[in-house]
Amino acid sequence: MTKFSRRHFAGGLLAGSTALAMPSLAFGAAPRVVVIGGGAGGATAARYIAKDSKGAIDVTLIEASKRYYTCFFSNLYLGGFRNYGSIGHNYYGLAVNRGVNVVHEWATSVDTAAKKVNLGHGGEVSYDRLVLSPGISLKYDSVPGYSPEAQSLMPHAWTSGTQVQLLRDNVLKMKKGGTFVMVPPPNPYRCPPGPYERVSMIAHLLKERNPTAKIIILDPKAKFSKQGLFMAGWEKHYPGMIEWLDPDTHGGIKKINAATMEIETDLDTFKADAASVVPAQRAGSIAMAAGVNDGDWCPINPANMTAKADPNIYVLGDASVASSMPKSGFSANSQAKVAANHIRGELTGSRVYEPRFANTCWSLIGTNDGIKVGANYKAGAEKIDVTDKFISQGDEAADVRKATYEESLGWYAGITSDMFS
Amino acid sequence: MRLFAVTVLVAGTLSTIPVQAEDLLAGADIGYGEYLSGECVTCHSQDGADKGIPSITGLDPETFATVMHAYKVGDIEHPVMKMVTSRLDAEQIASLAVFFASLPAAE
Repeated sequence: MTKFSRRHFAGGLLAGSTALAMPSLAFGAAPRVVVIGGGAGGATAARYIAKDSKGAIDVTLIEASKRYYTCFFSNLYLGGFRNYGSIGHNYYGLAVNRGVNVVHEWATSVDTAAKKVNLGHGGEVSYDRLVLSPGISLKYDSVPGYSPEAQSLMPHAWTSGTQVQLLRDNVLKMKKGGTFVMVPPPNPYRCPPGPYERVSMIAHLLKERNPTAKIIILDPKAKFSKQGLFMAGWEKHYPGMIEWLDPDTHGGIKKINAATMEIETDLDTFKADAASVVPAQRAGSIAMAAGVNDGDWCPINPANMTAKADPNIYVLGDASVASSMPKSGFSANSQAKVAANHIRGELTGSRVYEPRFANTCWSLIGTNDGIKVGANYKAGAEKIDVTDKFISQGDEAADVRKATYEESLGWYAGITSDMFS
Repeated sequence: MRLFAVTVLVAGTLSTIPVQAEDLLAGADIGYGEYLSGECVTCHSQDGADKGIPSITGLDPETFATVMHAYKVGDIEHPVMKMVTSRLDAEQIASLAVFFASLPAAE
């Protein structure tokens, strides 16, 4: 392969063939891209397409929330390391700086034949290319007894926002020496280290305010992300406070009774003073409505993030089957740039470069004790494959862990600017 | 052959890295650098702000490239930057260097 073809990844051919299939171009109108979901995937995609096409593409972002609270760093709010306002962002930058048409509505269905998106309050938006970045929906009934009603008593707090505020308040109101129970989700799910960083942050809060309290993790999984690092950190910062029970030990979660705050397993019935129950997950509902899912998630072509089911639709982030790439904000942001570059090439004939994927996930265990895991990925024919990876070491000095935490603060500023500015 | 030397301060260690200056920016393509920069600005703020991760905008391109090569060969140790640079060749580093040099430096 020549250097030229490596960089200019199938650009000209696609641009040429697309022009024929683009009725809006015949009328001289700018081609239209509609993005559904204003999180790490969708906001980034909308911003890059608008920014880099310099007005040549008409970009509409459909996002129900006027203010977006990031899931990433919501655990740091739980632990008292961030205030709630600092994880909230609006769409001013996209609308004003980038000229994105921001529509605060729910997208309720997609007519893929007519290439139209229907909106919750009536009206429709037509597209030449559609980007779906809807995040996750919760499968409440994956945990017997859990429901949208039960979430007010045992918050999942897995889509940020009010639920996280409720969870923090519940932890602060626990009786002295009480028990917090965490039920993490089964694989695959948004933010693999998230439940364990959450436990760390709740332990941090309890150590300061309720040091005789206990935390029990009833895990449906036999192992978890950064397990060795987290467990060593718990022993160091919160000795004797946290007990992790794998499914071989507790025998499976049989039933949850939110009204009595009881969680029944084969081993025992656990009575919680506060709890967080995170059920199994699937792609956000609009992806199902668009018919680009296969079961719970949406298969994509690794070269450009188009849905296997529809070449005019791209699926980013948690909703996609990105193989080895974890469901993280970093991953979604990385995938968005690959898709944005491809979309611009298709619609305007701009150069299309080779796809490049990367991810890093930082977690905080205690004050100034940050850890991270990351990898590079390449687009294989069928899957996104890992090419290189790293993880924090167990024997790192305190200054390295502190630097890792400070780096995570820089990353938060960087990625939120890359999404919203 | 002219040698280009840059002194960097990393984790309290001063390290002087000799690099062949005339090669550093060979093959640079600013448009390609802009695409590649997407990978950098997830962490390094594109407005040049340093809120825990160093600013990389408005740097002298040869300095930028020299530091990137130093990460790549391990003369400066950082696991994320080692991973980032591991899949960048000299032309890609040069392209990033000229792109970031074209952005305003932090105020």
